[in-house]
Amino acid sequence: MKVSCKWLKTMVDIPTDIAAFTNALDLTGTAVENVQTTGAQLDGIVVGHILTREAHPNADSLWVTTVDVGAHNVGEDGSPAPLQIVCGAQNFVAGDKIPVALLGTIMPNGIEIKKAKLRGVESRGMNCSARELGLGEDHAGLLILSPDAPVGVPIAQYLEQGDTVIELEITPNRPDCMSMLGIAREVGAVYNKPYTLGREAALAAVGQPASNLVRVSIDDPERCPRYTARIIKGVRVGPSPAWLVERVTAAGARSINNIVDVTNYIMFELGQPLHAFDLDTLTKDAAGTAHIVVRAAACGEEFTTLDGIKRTLDPDISVIVDGNAAAGAGSTIALAGVMGGLHSEVTETTVDILLEAATFSSAHTSRTSRKLQLFSEASARYERGVDGATCESFSARAAALMVEVAGGEVCEGVVDVYPAPVVPKELSFRVSRFQGFIGAPIPVDDITTILVSLGCEVAIQACHPEQSEEPRQTDATAIMDPAVLRPDEYLALDHTVLSVTPPTYRPDLTREVDLYEEVLRIWGMERIPATLPGGRGRIGERTREQQRVTQIGAALRASGLNQTMTYAFGAPGDNDILKMPFDERQQAVELINPMNSEQSVMRRSILPGLLRSVAYNQNHGVANVHLYELGTVFFAAEGRKQPKERQLVAGVLAGTWFDAGWNTVATALDFFDGKGVVEALLRELNISKIRFKALDAQAAPWLQPGRAAAVMAGSQQLGWIGELHPSACTAFEATAPVVAFELEVKALLAAAQPARPYKDVPQYPAIDLDVAVVVDESVSAVSIEQVITSAAGNLLDSVRLFDVYRDAEKIGAGKKSLALTLTYRAADRTLTSEEVDSLHQKVLRKLSGAVGAEIRG
Amino acid sequence: MSLLESIGEQQATALARIEAAADTAALEQVRVSVLGKKGSLTALLRGMGAVPPEERAQVGAAVNTTRDAIEAALTKRQQLLAQAELDARITADAVDVTLPGRAHPIGTQHLISRLTDEIVEVFRGIGYRVVDGTEIETDYYNFTALNAPPDHPSRGLQDTFYVVDRSGDEAAVQGESDVLLRTQTSGVQVHTMEDQELPIYILAPGRVYRRDTADPSHLPQFTQIEGLVVDKGITFGDLKGTLDYFCKQIFGPDRKTRFRPHFFPFTEPSAEVDVSCGICGGAGCRFCKGTGWLEILGCGMVDPNVYGYVGIDPERYSGFAFGVGVERVACLKYNVPDLRMLLEGDMRFLRQF
Repeated sequence: MKVSCKWLKTMVDIPTDIAAFTNALDLTGTAVENVQTTGAQLDGIVVGHILTREAHPNADSLWVTTVDVGAHNVGEDGSPAPLQIVCGAQNFVAGDKIPVALLGTIMPNGIEIKKAKLRGVESRGMNCSARELGLGEDHAGLLILSPDAPVGVPIAQYLEQGDTVIELEITPNRPDCMSMLGIAREVGAVYNKPYTLGREAALAAVGQPASNLVRVSIDDPERCPRYTARIIKGVRVGPSPAWLVERVTAAGARSINNIVDVTNYIMFELGQPLHAFDLDTLTKDAAGTAHIVVRAAACGEEFTTLDGIKRTLDPDISVIVDGNAAAGAGSTIALAGVMGGLHSEVTETTVDILLEAATFSSAHTSRTSRKLQLFSEASARYERGVDGATCESFSARAAALMVEVAGGEVCEGVVDVYPAPVVPKELSFRVSRFQGFIGAPIPVDDITTILVSLGCEVAIQACHPEQSEEPRQTDATAIMDPAVLRPDEYLALDHTVLSVTPPTYRPDLTREVDLYEEVLRIWGMERIPATLPGGRGRIGERTREQQRVTQIGAALRASGLNQTMTYAFGAPGDNDILKMPFDERQQAVELINPMNSEQSVMRRSILPGLLRSVAYNQNHGVANVHLYELGTVFFAAEGRKQPKERQLVAGVLAGTWFDAGWNTVATALDFFDGKGVVEALLRELNISKIRFKALDAQAAPWLQPGRAAAVMAGSQQLGWIGELHPSACTAFEATAPVVAFELEVKALLAAAQPARPYKDVPQYPAIDLDVAVVVDESVSAVSIEQVITSAAGNLLDSVRLFDVYRDAEKIGAGKKSLALTLTYRAADRTLTSEEVDSLHQKVLRKLSGAVGAEIRG
Repeated sequence: MSLLESIGEQQATALARIEAAADTAALEQVRVSVLGKKGSLTALLRGMGAVPPEERAQVGAAVNTTRDAIEAALTKRQQLLAQAELDARITADAVDVTLPGRAHPIGTQHLISRLTDEIVEVFRGIGYRVVDGTEIETDYYNFTALNAPPDHPSRGLQDTFYVVDRSGDEAAVQGESDVLLRTQTSGVQVHTMEDQELPIYILAPGRVYRRDTADPSHLPQFTQIEGLVVDKGITFGDLKGTLDYFCKQIFGPDRKTRFRPHFFPFTEPSAEVDVSCGICGGAGCRFCKGTGWLEILGCGMVDPNVYGYVGIDPERYSGFAFGVGVERVACLKYNVPDLRMLLEGDMRFLRQF
């Protein structure tokens, strides 16, 4: 909503300090989005006096003028000298006063005025039309000023063009503020000042009654609660007077012609959208009466709006039709509340006007605008709601103004269909409850003043508390104290109950609490003391799950991974190109209205997003990538509204941990770096019975076979880890190798133990014995460890694998040598070497037997 | 040379050699050659048998004195040499302490997650529980139960992501569905009011979605933290005090807040909250577009209609709700020039925090 301060000043006093004014608006709920000072674009344009007008020697339609611009141009002697300006307009004579753009002026359209030769004659400036000044559409000739216009005065000053236009954000609950009248009332309430309409316009109606010329019927009053039609005959459509142009321009519209400008002017001034139809274009019955019908559009009906666009309608859209069954079918002439039609628009040849002032349902208007992507000043107002009570009087004001600016006469009366007039509703306002709700003792006088200034009728309903010595419950009147008040506290409250009737232009005020807001915002939120709730029984806690999830992130960061976030959206083919299969029960959640096809489903794995980030880093010269994300994945649930959501934690590793340093070697990250990260995480969560079970190409096609494992806790799978298949990397434009893992948070939390049990710290010395075993490649490290552990029993403290060695010549092809340190220890005594030796020999025998190990050294 | 003379000479020789020993190794050689099993003084002691009995006491005393003297000299010299050797080693071990330390991989927390934790901790400190909810919600919990009118523009396909409804139900609005990506975490508040005993002091952080094209100042997915309090005797002043505390905790104790009346369907009265600009201190600069204030969150007293949906009596209880965008806080605190950086996973960005 654009508000011209110049216009507003004619309605209500406003401070001269615009910054203080906009601040006051901001702090009372009318947000200021922008402040613009106009008139600045007319710098360099002054009042000129045409001294001579001679025909151009080389062009028929041009004139050579000399123009006095006062001291803006001086001759060699320093005294004012007229300018020679070549001019193409025809509507002037020598002696006229006109606006002149001096050399160097930047015109409102951005063009700079330069010295030029036009057909061989020098021209030093430009004589301007109204349109060239941005003051209207008239470009037929120069803007002829009053003969008494003072030569040389800046045109902005002369035309009083200087204005400050404030752009306000009007919240959807405030239809009343979509007009200058509403803003003036609001400003009046803020400063506790009176406001007026300013400009007068009295209606003098003559001639035949309007009801002879037009009939109105409404099919469904829910769509159109009120429709008024007035007839103005014999108008002369033409340019608007300067004041009208100025005001509709300041409000953000273009000046079209005097009739359309009046409809826009009244909409801006009073908030009542109007539509002027060319009466001659409407279908009439035999008696010459036009029939206006408001009804649902037909399904698939086509209609061309004022902007020349043909639109397809449906029955949810309301239309205005010029005809009914009796008068012939008629055709659609307007989209109700949104835009008129091309066929019936007011043109230069229009003589008789049918003026519509109506109210249309906000829901239908809003849906129509959204559906057709057609938003107009009218629809913006109808969407919020237009006051039905004032249609008729506002239409009268519009008709009077039309006659004033376009001549003609207004027909007697108005055709007004208003089946269910708006009835104002009376509300109670409990002052003590209000004070308790807000937390400040705002006096009842202030409350009354504010409500009255906003247009409410206020009366006192009750004011005396019952005298009593008993403590009393306060539920009904105040919620300041939850339990019981002492008699003195109770009596200290203001027990006044006000009876408040909001005006019809405030449909948002339907409940007591709505009035609270009105008083609070005008009285001033900044005046309310800041306190903290004193309530009992609150505990700032996180659930165990929330704590665990925090631990997951902390553990991964401690292992060197950086947390990231990626899109929860994905492309439908992400999992296919990754070769990460999902079974039929794990369908993707599809978006009905995605931003683009790359983001048209919800992700089922975090990996594609992370892989894109790996590629992003690699493409930007960052080779070392260590990322994790903890987030949601989504699966459609057949037969259910809401899909299934699961939390996953996923990580990717590429490159090295860091570049080689003076004292560190850079080692390429591989499967075991990822495995180490996962092991550290599982340890932090106290998860026991951890196993890494090799996954083959069929089980995990997105991973490189031989470097892929399921992460298990007992028989429960927690997730997977592996080096991504090189073709999966290629598909996402990432460079292999990339190590990745993805674990299910719910499974991690289920397997996590609250704490590990305490074990005695060893008190007796241990004996370490090393062994090297040569086994077939197919024998896994964990199986060797299992043989050792079961053979050695509880005297074995730990086993540590410290070397893996392959040498076809020395130990044979297809073989590997594993070197292990076995630590023996008893909890209750020092072991003897004999004891350990015999146990160790048993372990070695078992190793040979169980896994065919050849014992070396 | 008498035995006593020989002892005296041995002592003199030994002491001289001790004094001459250049390092602890040489000193040890001296000790072995004098006091060791095959040492010269040891040999003398072994020869005691041959000493006539009447001289034994005198010779024995002399040997003991000599041994004591030698041992004392050895100890003294040993300490001296050991100290010198330690000093020398320390000197040799000196390093350039400005050389980089040995690197350990250590990760960072994402800026948004870090700020979310910070904000959650502020409210946990004043008694709020953290409640989670699903990211895909029904229209009822995201809009209807929050008093959003059926034709509210935010419900449109332009603003809200809808997902295919697999329940077979007809959508209430043409072209849309009753299932959507939540546009706010307020649905969590409704679930909490339905399910939990009063009073309620909760915080609902989480990812939300709005249909904006990703650009420097918009993302289609972002992070919101909403708070809800329902208790007896909660006032608008409590709302002010709570959010003022929050802003001072997050932005600094010298920052001020101001409340501008606004409109939200689920609160009445409603306000937007600004925090004073940290760059100009409120005087007005480019960062705050000359106003001295930065918009930070929306809030208000819970609308009675919302209580109506969940069966709480607004005559007995009152409360407030607020919602803050974490990305917005990140922009204000860190001046992040392009929100899309938050979703790219660029290590050079992530490693900064």
